[in-house]
Amino acid sequence: MTVAENSRKGLVGRGVSRVDASDKVRGLARYADDLDVPGCWHGVIVRSPVSRGTLRSVKLDPACDASKAVVVTAQDIPGPNIVVMHDRAMPLLAFDEIRYIGEPLAVVAAPTRRQAIEVAEHVRIEIDELPAILTTAELVRKFKAGELKTGVEQNAPRGVGGFAGGAPESPDVLCSQSIVKGDVEKGFAEADQIVEAEYTAGHQEQLYIEPQGLVAIPQKDGGILIEGSMQCPYYIQHELHEALNLPAGKLRVRQAAVGGAFGGKEEFPSMLAGYCALPAMKAKKPVKIVYDRHQDILYTTKRHPVWVRHKTGVKKDGTITALKVDFLLDGGAYLTLSDVVMYRGILHAAMGYRCDHVFVNGIVGRTNTFPSGAFRGFGAPQAIWGVESHVDALARACGMTPHEFRLKNCLRVGDTTPTGMVLRDSVGSPAVLEEALKTSRFADKFAKCSRGRKGARKWYGIGLSFFAHGSGFTGDGESKIGTKVALDLGFENASPVVFIRVSSTEMGQGALTVLSQMAADGLGVDLDRVRYPLPDTGLVPNSGPTVASRTTMVVGSTVYSAACKLRQRLEESAGRPIAGSKSFEQIASKYLAEHGPLRVVEAFKLPDTVRWDQATFRGDAYPAFAWGCNVAEVEVDTRTLEIKVKKVTACFDVGRVINPVLVKGQVEGGLTQALGYAVMEKIGIKGGRFDANRMQTYVIPTALDVPEYDITFVEYPYEFAAPGAKGVGEMPMDGLAPAIANAIEAATGIRMTDLPITPEKLFKEVTTKCAKDAK
Amino acid sequence: MKFLEDMDCAFPKNLQEALKLMADEKSRGRPIAGGTDLMVQWSSGVLPMPERAIDLSGLPELKGVSENTDSVVIGAAVTHAEMRRSPIVQVHLPSLAQAAATIGGAQIQARGTIAGSVANASPAGDLGPSLLITNGRVVVASKAGEREIELAKFFLGYRKIDLQPDELIVRFILPKIHAGCRESFRKLGPRAAQAISKVMGSYRGSAKGKEVKDFAVALGSVAPIPIRLPEFEQWIVGKEIGKKVLDEAEQRVAAMIKPIDDIRSTAEYRQWVSGRIVRGFLEELVAE
Repeated sequence: MTVAENSRKGLVGRGVSRVDASDKVRGLARYADDLDVPGCWHGVIVRSPVSRGTLRSVKLDPACDASKAVVVTAQDIPGPNIVVMHDRAMPLLAFDEIRYIGEPLAVVAAPTRRQAIEVAEHVRIEIDELPAILTTAELVRKFKAGELKTGVEQNAPRGVGGFAGGAPESPDVLCSQSIVKGDVEKGFAEADQIVEAEYTAGHQEQLYIEPQGLVAIPQKDGGILIEGSMQCPYYIQHELHEALNLPAGKLRVRQAAVGGAFGGKEEFPSMLAGYCALPAMKAKKPVKIVYDRHQDILYTTKRHPVWVRHKTGVKKDGTITALKVDFLLDGGAYLTLSDVVMYRGILHAAMGYRCDHVFVNGIVGRTNTFPSGAFRGFGAPQAIWGVESHVDALARACGMTPHEFRLKNCLRVGDTTPTGMVLRDSVGSPAVLEEALKTSRFADKFAKCSRGRKGARKWYGIGLSFFAHGSGFTGDGESKIGTKVALDLGFENASPVVFIRVSSTEMGQGALTVLSQMAADGLGVDLDRVRYPLPDTGLVPNSGPTVASRTTMVVGSTVYSAACKLRQRLEESAGRPIAGSKSFEQIASKYLAEHGPLRVVEAFKLPDTVRWDQATFRGDAYPAFAWGCNVAEVEVDTRTLEIKVKKVTACFDVGRVINPVLVKGQVEGGLTQALGYAVMEKIGIKGGRFDANRMQTYVIPTALDVPEYDITFVEYPYEFAAPGAKGVGEMPMDGLAPAIANAIEAATGIRMTDLPITPEKLFKEVTTKCAKDAK
Repeated sequence: MKFLEDMDCAFPKNLQEALKLMADEKSRGRPIAGGTDLMVQWSSGVLPMPERAIDLSGLPELKGVSENTDSVVIGAAVTHAEMRRSPIVQVHLPSLAQAAATIGGAQIQARGTIAGSVANASPAGDLGPSLLITNGRVVVASKAGEREIELAKFFLGYRKIDLQPDELIVRFILPKIHAGCRESFRKLGPRAAQAISKVMGSYRGSAKGKEVKDFAVALGSVAPIPIRLPEFEQWIVGKEIGKKVLDEAEQRVAAMIKPIDDIRSTAEYRQWVSGRIVRGFLEELVAE
C-alpha cells in the first residue's frame, strides 16, 4: 500500500476547493442558453395532444406563411427513424402509432423563437385516437390478474434462470428478468411465519436548476456539432448518428457547463439533439432549443414509478429463510434504458441480508405516458424503499428490534449475495450499520419512541435503513465498454501542463475537482499543473457515460494510473524523480522541447476474477458495493399530522474518500433529494399528462425543510483500482425514504407504504385505524 | 400565442393620471404592481395576456403605512416585505405581519403588494384571513371618486372581487387589535417555506380566564374565497374552554366548510385540519 501512503501526503483525501467554483460564482461559466452562436435559429416542438392514436397526417396549414421557417416531420429524417437506446424501437418523431401525450410529431425552426412558435401553431395534426393505459395502478391490476405476460411466465419453469431484455415481450411488458438463488419454495417451507406486503412510489422529477438545452451547428464537412447541457456526450453520438445518416465521427458532441442533471440529462438529450439537428440540417442553420421550466417538467423523463411486493419467510429466531420479490416498474411508452434500471432494481431488491433462497422477478410494464428514465439511483431507491420498509416488518414479526434484526442478518465478508457473489473485499458491512447505530444512539432512542401514544402534542420516532449500492456498471459491463482515458502533456502559455481527456462530465457533482486531484497525485504535482477541459467527442476518448456512480471509481482510477505512467515516462527520460511542481516544470519542459507533445492512453480493466452471466443473472453483480446506513428522526405534529424530519445520521462506506468536503456536500444534497422523495415530491398523471408543470406545483425541499445532518464515512477502499474510491453519487438517494417511513411507524404506530408520505395519507390511515380500534 | 413584447404598458406618474387612464375603455389596462402573480400567469398561459398593463408600482399615493387612533392604513402598493418589517403592522396587526412573512421567498416579498395579492383573489392568497379578522375595509377609487367596502364583502367568488373596470384599489383601513386581545396566523403548506397553503387561518379574540369574550376567525384555501365563520364565532363566545368544548369546536368547524381536492391536498384532510387549527387558536387564546 505504498501508493496510498504516498497519496496521503498529496491531494487525494484533502478537501481542496472546487476547481470550477470561481468561474461559476462569477457567472463566467457558459451554459447552453449562454452559447452565443451567430445566425442561430430557434426550434419549437409540435407534440401529440393524445395519449395514444394513429397519426393520419402532420401538415402545415397552407395559409401560413412559412417562408422564414423550416418544418420537419418524420419524412425529413435522413436515416432510420429511431433513437437507438437499448432496443432500437423509439422513433425520433412519431410517424404511425402515437404512444404518449407530448410525443414529438414535428419540429419548427425559425430565426426567432417567436416566429417558430407562430408557425408551429399552424401545424395541423390528424389523429385517430386509440384506447390507452395511463397509470401504474392499471399495470399492477393486470399483473395481479395474471394479464402481464413476461418471458419468465411464458417460457421458463420457476426457479430456472431469467431472460435478458430485448423486444417487448407482450403489449404491456417492455422487458422482464429474474434472479434465482436456491429454491424459494423450500425456504418458505422452512419458515415459522411468512410476511407479505406491498410498497409503492410514484414519479419523481430531477428538477436540475438548468433546464434542458442544446444547439446543433452544421459543419463545413457536412457533419453536425451538438453543444449544450448533457451528461454523456458519446451517448448522443451513438443514439443519433444513424437517424441523421452521419458516420459517428461526423456527429461531434461538446459539453457546455451543466447546471445539474441527476440522470435527467443521461439519455434524454439524445432526443433533444435530434430535434435540434433535423431542422439544422434542413435549414443549414444552427438551431437551438432551450426548454422553459414548464416544458422541462412536462416533457422530460422522470424516475420510474414502482410497485414492489415482498413475501418473506422468517424463523422465530429472526433467520430469513426465503425472500420472494415482485418488482414492477412503469416504463412509460418506450423502453429507452428501462431494462437496465429494472436490472439495478432487482439487484438491490433483496440485497443486504443473508438468505439462501431468493427469487426476484422484475418487470418493466408499458403505459401510454412519457418514457421513464434515468434518475440518481437508477432503480435502486425504488428497490431499497421496498426491502428496507419490509425488513422492519420482519423484525417486528420476529419480536426483534429493527437494529437487532439487521445486525443479525446483514451480509458480511464471506457471505453470498442473491446472485451468488461472494463478498470478499472492501465490505463496509456491518461497519456502517454499527457506526450509524452508535453515532445516533439508536437503541436508546428507539426505546423512547411515541408509537401513537394518546395525549401527546408531538410524536417522536426514529428509524433506520441499511443498504448496499453497486458501484459502476452491472457485472462485467465496465470491461465491456472499454473505458479509455488520455492525458496530454503540452504547453499552456509556455508552461507545461497536463490535460485530462475524458468524456466524463462535470454536472455539479465535483468530477472536475476529484479527477484533477487524482491526476495531480499520480503526477506528483500541484492542482495548477492539471487542466480538465469540457469534454468534446472530437478530442477525448470514450471513457463511458457519467452515470452509475462510476466516474470517480472507474474513470478516476484510470486517470490516476495514466498519470502514474506519464510520471514514470518523464522520470525515465530525465533520469530523476519528479518532486513537486517545480521539478515537474523543468523535466516536462525539457521533454516537450526534445520530443514534442506526449499522450498517455490508459484503459480500465476489471480483475480477471470477475465472473458474470448476463443470461442467468448469476455471479459478480458489480465490481464492488458501497455500503450505507441512514437513521432518520422524525416528529409528527399530532394536531395536524405534519411530518418534520429533525435529524438524519448517515454512515457510508464509499471506499477511499478523495475529497472529504465535496463528498459531504454531495451526500447532503442527495439526502435532501431523498427527503423530497420521501415526504414531499409528487407528480401524478391526470388524463395522461403530468399534473404538475411548474415549481409552484412540483414541491421540493427548501433550506428550512432540511434536517440536521450528521454524516460520517468508514473507508474500505476498492482494492483493484487505486486510489480505491467506490461509488458515491447515487448512494445518498437510496435509503432515506424507508428510514423515514420506519421512523414514522415508530412515531405513530402506522406503517406507510406509499411515497411520498404526506399528512393527507397519514390522516387517511389514522382515520382507518381509529375506526378499526373503535370496533 | 401572445408575447410579452406585444403588450403595451402605461406608467402613470400619479393616481390621478392612473384613474384617468382607467376611466376610458381605450386607454384602460390591467393594473400591475409587483407582477409576481401576473407575469407568471401570463407567461404560462394561465391568464390571457391583456392588450395593455398599467404599472402602479411607482404611484406615491399608493405607498406607505400609517396609523390613526383605531386603525392602520396600508397603501395598495405596499409590499409584503414592507408589511412584515413595519413596526406599526407588527404591533397592531400581528397576524398580517406573520402572513406577509410567509408569502413566497424574499424576492417575491420585495415585489408583491397587498392590493396585488387581494386582486389576484386566489383562494390560497395568504393575506385574506388576516385581513378578514380585522373587520377592515378597502378603499377603491375611480375618476368619479372613492368607494369604501367591507373586506368581507369585497371577495365575491373564485378569483372575483367587487371592483369595477374603471376602479383601482387605493388603500386598506384595518382596525387595530385591542389591548388584551390576541391574534395569530397559521399556515399549513407542503413545505416549511416558499409554500402555497393547503389550509391557513387567522384569529383575533380575547378571553377572561378560560371564557371566550370575543372571537373572530377566518380560513383560507378551504373555499373559493377566504371566509369568516360567523355562526361558529357566535357559538363560541361565552364558552369556557375545556376538552369538551374544544372537541365540539373542532367538529363544528369541520362541518361548516366544504373544501376541495386539488394538487396540494385533499378535501377530507383540509376539513379535519381546519378544525384542528381552530382548536389550536382557542387553546392559544386562553393560554396563560
